[in-house]
Amino acid sequence: MKKIGSSIKNISQVKYDEKPLEFWGPTPDEARKIMVSKPKGLKDKRTTLKDAVQKHIKDGMNLGLGGFVNTRVPVAAVHEVIRHGVKDLTLSMQSNSICAELLAGAMILDPDRVSIKRAELAWWGYEIIGIAPLLRYMTSNGMIELDDYTNYGMSVRFKAAAMGIPFIPVRDHGGADMELINKGTMMECPYTGRNVYLVPACHPDVSLIHVTAADMYGNSRLMGAQCTCSELAMAGTYSIVTAEKIIPDENIRNYPNLTEIPHPAVDSLVEVPYGAYPGACYGFHWFDMDHIKMFRAASEEFRKTGDKTKLKQYYDEYIFGCANHEEFIEKIDSETLKKVKEMDGGQPIILD
Amino acid sequence: MAEVTPMEMIAYTGSRVLQDESIVFVGTGLPIIAAMHAQYTHAPNLLMIYEAGSLAPMLEMGMPLSVGDTRAARKATYLKGLCGVFELTQRGYSDFAFIGGAQIDMYGNICSTIQGEDYRQPQVRFPGSGGAGAMAANCEKTIAIMALEKRRFVKQLDFVTSIGYGDGSPDYRDKAGVMGSGPYRVITNQALFGFDEETRRMKLLEVMPGVTTEEIQDLVGFELIIPSDVKEMKLPTEEDLTLLRDKIDAEGYFLKRQVKK
Repeated sequence: MKKIGSSIKNISQVKYDEKPLEFWGPTPDEARKIMVSKPKGLKDKRTTLKDAVQKHIKDGMNLGLGGFVNTRVPVAAVHEVIRHGVKDLTLSMQSNSICAELLAGAMILDPDRVSIKRAELAWWGYEIIGIAPLLRYMTSNGMIELDDYTNYGMSVRFKAAAMGIPFIPVRDHGGADMELINKGTMMECPYTGRNVYLVPACHPDVSLIHVTAADMYGNSRLMGAQCTCSELAMAGTYSIVTAEKIIPDENIRNYPNLTEIPHPAVDSLVEVPYGAYPGACYGFHWFDMDHIKMFRAASEEFRKTGDKTKLKQYYDEYIFGCANHEEFIEKIDSETLKKVKEMDGGQPIILD
Repeated sequence: MAEVTPMEMIAYTGSRVLQDESIVFVGTGLPIIAAMHAQYTHAPNLLMIYEAGSLAPMLEMGMPLSVGDTRAARKATYLKGLCGVFELTQRGYSDFAFIGGAQIDMYGNICSTIQGEDYRQPQVRFPGSGGAGAMAANCEKTIAIMALEKRRFVKQLDFVTSIGYGDGSPDYRDKAGVMGSGPYRVITNQALFGFDEETRRMKLLEVMPGVTTEEIQDLVGFELIIPSDVKEMKLPTEEDLTLLRDKIDAEGYFLKRQVKK
């Protein structure tokens, strides 16, 4: 392949290490092999999050985070991953807020339990609420290696993986510093002779996804913005899917067009109401800004003062103090849950 | 008339810049407010794309607080995911990108990744590109909003997150493999900028009434092109302000923020 570049070096002085063109997780061939080896029949995939995490989460793996910023984010699964513990993670995601910060906080509190080595991403923050304090702490202290793409770049990397192709041409990243620092590369298009940027497929070892509804086999519906959840589920070599609601298989078969994740792309399935809380789940509840602010404030206090007390209190109360997500939700007062439900405004979804 | 705040001025000017019968890909905050204002006033058939996956939502539940807010998907005409909407953009369906950032240079390149020169261990890490890099590459025209401060209007960016005209050479964007025509307007609280067709450098178009072009140049870390026919920025009417304050951002999530001096 002819490796070329735009004139980016004329405008930027950024210091960086050139990344080798390699995958930070399973290669497309490895991912295919795993998929081919799995039994594909319709079988009841329902289990508990504890068992799912126990089975699939291993040190050194690439963990894909579903949802988008604070929408349908896999909070319940992330809590369980933290309780279970996992080291040397590579995170892959487009944009995330609380899931990535929760894992980062777990590492800051106890690196022998949870550690993140690197992340391939487009964005890590809290939008209106502010910057992500723990990301900032880790980057300022050189604790994490990052690999930056645009939101389309990361999304389409999952899509390429879901399509079973090793890379995909895109019309962004080029001419910006991402061309220098990420694992993509510029090439000359064999058809037009013009420059086009290639990004590698991204196959997480395990994808964590919260869906609107699924039947017991894992056939899943995504209502509201679909984020990159179907691509991510199909890109991962394994997936843990939490569903706001389990629906009869008959419903899935009534409207098969509504299935966004087919059953073979789901390995473990758990019904977890409020599984994205304090993030939002379209049709069920809005996000809980106050709760996110509380966690962020504890994180910010640590970043500014080095005092971990409040951060530790959060984990002790809401993660380690709970055996499962149901116990976590029981700790949220009913007024709050009522309010976030009302704030969703009854967005229309199809469960039948 | 009530005093216009800097944020209100940016939102109102953003609205003026947007055109009817077009599609704008909006970022969180002021871009959403500007686009909503435009829809309520001069551009009823301006349609928005939100990057979590929606096209042309009806924002009847109020202003989405982020582009991933479930309200931004309300009664959309088309609702997919990130690939869906960014591919609309790549294909040429999106006329305007409306983005923010931490720093901008004279060619409209924008930084929203790091502060400091070492990518591996920056002084300050920002959230990252998010959608901005893709929007600036492939929406047809890029509108940027930024507070007019010397630390933001810089000679050299710490990191190029979103492509503008690059180093200003005529074929820069072409070599970069991007599709859109590039930077179109930069909106600030005190001035509106465009770009010179010949040199692709930032050009002063309008200033706040009572502000001189010299005062604007003093707030910018590079040399602006200042034509002789710089106009005054149009101020929002009482009606516009009511719309912004009482209808669009009634809770003051974005409009009540302060610009740092």
